[in-house]
This record gives sequence, C-alpha cells and structure tokens, in this order.
Amino acid sequence: MTEIFALAALWLGLALAATLLSIWLRIATAMSEIVVGTVAQLAIGALVGAAALGTDQSWIRFLASTGAVLLTFLAGAELDPKVLRSTLKETATVGLIAFFAPFLGCAAAAYWLLHWSASSSWLAGIALSTTSVAVVYAVMLEFGLNRTNYGKTVLAACFINDLATVIALGLMFSPFTVRTLVFLGATIAAFLILPWITPRFFRRFGDRPSELEAKFLLLCLFGLGALAQWADSEAVLPAYVLGMVLAGTVGKDHALVRRLRTLTFGLLTPFYFIRAGSFVSIPALIGAPVAFLLLLAAKMTSKFVGVYPVTRWFAAPKREAMYTTLLMSTGLTFGSISALFGLSHGIIDGAQYSLLIAAVIGSAVVPTLIANAFYLPRHLLPKSPPDATASEELPVVTKVKP
Amino acid sequence: MKNILLCWDGSESAVRAFDFAVDLATRFGAALQVVAVARPPDVPDDVETEAMIERSRDHFASDFRSLGAKAGAAGVAMKPEVLVGHPAQRIVDYAESHGIDHIVLGHRGKTLFDRWKLGSVSRQVIHYAHCTTTVVR
Repeated sequence: MTEIFALAALWLGLALAATLLSIWLRIATAMSEIVVGTVAQLAIGALVGAAALGTDQSWIRFLASTGAVLLTFLAGAELDPKVLRSTLKETATVGLIAFFAPFLGCAAAAYWLLHWSASSSWLAGIALSTTSVAVVYAVMLEFGLNRTNYGKTVLAACFINDLATVIALGLMFSPFTVRTLVFLGATIAAFLILPWITPRFFRRFGDRPSELEAKFLLLCLFGLGALAQWADSEAVLPAYVLGMVLAGTVGKDHALVRRLRTLTFGLLTPFYFIRAGSFVSIPALIGAPVAFLLLLAAKMTSKFVGVYPVTRWFAAPKREAMYTTLLMSTGLTFGSISALFGLSHGIIDGAQYSLLIAAVIGSAVVPTLIANAFYLPRHLLPKSPPDATASEELPVVTKVKP
Repeated sequence: MKNILLCWDGSESAVRAFDFAVDLATRFGAALQVVAVARPPDVPDDVETEAMIERSRDHFASDFRSLGAKAGAAGVAMKPEVLVGHPAQRIVDYAESHGIDHIVLGHRGKTLFDRWKLGSVSRQVIHYAHCTTTVVR
C-alpha cells in the first residue's frame, strides 16, 4: 500500500496545484488539471521515467472513469425538464443543428484536410461537437435571458446537443449486436422506472448520515456503466441520460447535488483530467501546429454556421447573438471525454489525441477571449482612455457626474 | 438622492462601503439597494460554473441577511440582489436600469498583478457609470 499511498499523494498534490492555478488565472479547474497533467508527465517522465505517474494502474483508471461518469451525471442533472417539455420541437431543432454542424464539419475537415481515417474523423467530429450548458446558462443569466423563450430554448438545446454527442459516442463505435439490444432495452427500462422509484426511496430511507442517496446513485451508475461496457459502448452515455431523467427529482435536491460535487471535484475528476492531460504529447503538438489550428477553426466556423442564424432567428440582438454563439463553442468536459474514449479504444493515436485535446482546450479559450474582448455588451467597450490616476490615494473618492 | 446602490463582495472595504452607504441613505432618506456579483471563470466549464453560481448565491444570501438586519437597525430598507457576470459591467448596467443616482463600492486589488489580471472593478465603474460613484478605501 505504501506505493499506492505515495502515488495518491503525488496525484492529489498535482490536483491541488491545478486548483490553485485555476483560482489564480480564473480558468476552469478541468482545464488547469489537463495542463498540469501534461506538464507533470513531461517533467516527471523526463526525470524519473515515463511510468512514474502510473496512469495505467487499475485503481487510477477506476477513479478517473468514475470521475467522468459522475461529472456526466451531474451535467445531465442540471437540466430543467419543464423547459425541455414546453419547447421540445424548437429545442430539438436548435440542439440537433448545433450538434450536426460541427460534427459533420469537423469530421469532414479531419478526413479531407488532415487525411485521418474515417473512424478517427468521426471521433474528431464528436469530440468537437459539444457545447457547455452551464457556460451558456451563465451568459443567459447575465443578459437576463434565462426567463425568455429564446433563453430557455437555447439552454435546453444545449442539452440536446450534448445528448446527441454522448449517443454518438456511445453507439457509433460499438458493434451492433445482441448485447447492444440488451443494453438499450435494460437502460430504457431503468430510465422509465428510476424517476418513479428514486424519489420515493429517498423519501422513505434518505436524509441520514449514512449517505444512502449517494450509494443508490452510484449503484445505478456503476450498474448501467457495466452494462454499457459489456455492450462495447461507453459508460458516460447512460450516466448523462440518467442525470437528465432524474433532473426533476434528484437534480432539485441541492444538498445532495452538492455532496456529489464534493466527491466528484474533491477526489475523482482530478484523476480523470490529470490522466487525460498526461497522454498529451507536446512534441506531437509542436510538430503539427497547422493541424491544431485547422481543427479549432473547423469547430468555431461550423458552430457559427449552425448556431448564429438560429440565435438571430430568435431575434437576439447581433452582439448578444454572437456572444451566445461564441460561448456555445466551448465544451471542455464532453470534448475531453470523447477524445480519451477514442484513445483508449484505439480509434485515434497519441498524436491525434494530442491535437484533439489541444483543439478542445483551444475551443474553450479562444471563443471566450474573443467574446469577452469584442462582444461583451456595450458598457465595457472603451468610450475614452481610462483615467489611470483615478481613485488611487484618497480614503474616500467621489467622482460626480453632471 | 433617492436610490443608492451598494456593491458588495464581502471584503473589509465592502464593509466600510456598506457603513458609508447606510449613513448616506439615512441622511438623505434614500432607498438602499445592494448587489453582489457572482463571476464565472473567464474560461469556464460545465458543472463547475453551475456550482460556482449556486455557491455564490448562497454565500451572498447569508451576507445579505446580516446586512439587512444592520440596515434595518439604522432605519434603512435594503433591497439585495445577486447578479451574474463581469462585476463592473453588471454594476453599471444595474445602476442604469434601476434608476440609481449614487453608487458606493469598496476598493480592492492590493497588488499590481491583481490590477493587471482583473482590472480594477472600481476604476471601471467610476469610468463607465452614468451617476455619482463613491469608492471607499
């Protein structure tokens, strides 16, 4: 156990460093963990040896996979089912356009411009098709659009977009066999029964220090995940859908969701994202900068083509429509999950994985920077050079405007 | 002066700004509105952003309860609200849309790096606000 504890201490040390970095730079913790993983593998690999981080040890793989499953479940549980039901037709249209435009666009770019194989290209399309729901939600709150029809539709469409991504990831690369049918049948049955059973079960036995709720949800997630793996599919597919179907019950229990977040962010996702980062090859990235830029441009362009007309169709002002479109181009969680799925299933190689992760990170950074620099609505756009000396010395400074 | 806006972030300077704003509201018989801004990461991600907004709302709601009691004791009615986004933008936007005629906020950003990294919220509010702005140190 000494070696395992020492390795765990090393990983948690890296996670702590990544968290401090994210606080310092005001970026998502997932991103800093990926970067720390890449740098740690490079540095520790050079000093001690490539296997020093132990990324392929079974317990690290287990913690990392559980992190991805729980994170996906929590992402699904953020859905507001009432909104989805009230605008299902528009939502499905917008969400599917937002998925298919980058999915097809990026797959085409990878296939014809980078000359990747067909399956690698499809994987690239999936990894770059995602949208970050919470990011768009934050933008909607900022503009006060979350109560409008436009805001609700775009938000729910983000869930449809990500649902399409996990369905594509879970089904496109698995052979369609009897196992697939069993997996789909059992999963659908679980999704019909669990929204009925879960709230009743929690009401009867829950709300105790023994954390029955967390155990029950982990049982469901591991059970469905095992079924998905048995059918050569991906465990995040049932996890995301389970999150969505339980959003109206479990998702509304904020105390429970917070406890799950503590478990997820405090222990599990650092293993997932640091491990994902450790597989990135810096030499592969330096060797093919054009390929990285091409994938990034393909994602941003295809998201723009798919999403911007829709936001304008809903009569969003140009600046806000562009801001929403740019932030819908971010998608760190599902993008990295898809890329790591491709690597671990041999669909893409290490160099392609490195390029995809770089493009996923780039698609989180570049649109956000452009959005904040050029499309942040009116007030922060400079009217005249700021008064650099204002309010620096006096205990109380009042600037009176006529 | 009818509507005073206090910008709250929980810092020591915000506490001083609050005392100043309550004093001002008492003297002028003005209404006091208090806003706090939850700022998502500049490069954000899914579940973490949602968690951050929720946590900020809870944190500020707890602050607002004690601030409301203090304002009430001074005979000032206080209307609190938590906004989401870039602090300076949201404060200026809120002031314009709610007919605020005086903004009061504390001063932060202790180091040069803080100012370079985040920009100074108080400086941006002073520069872009439509009304009188007081920065309390």
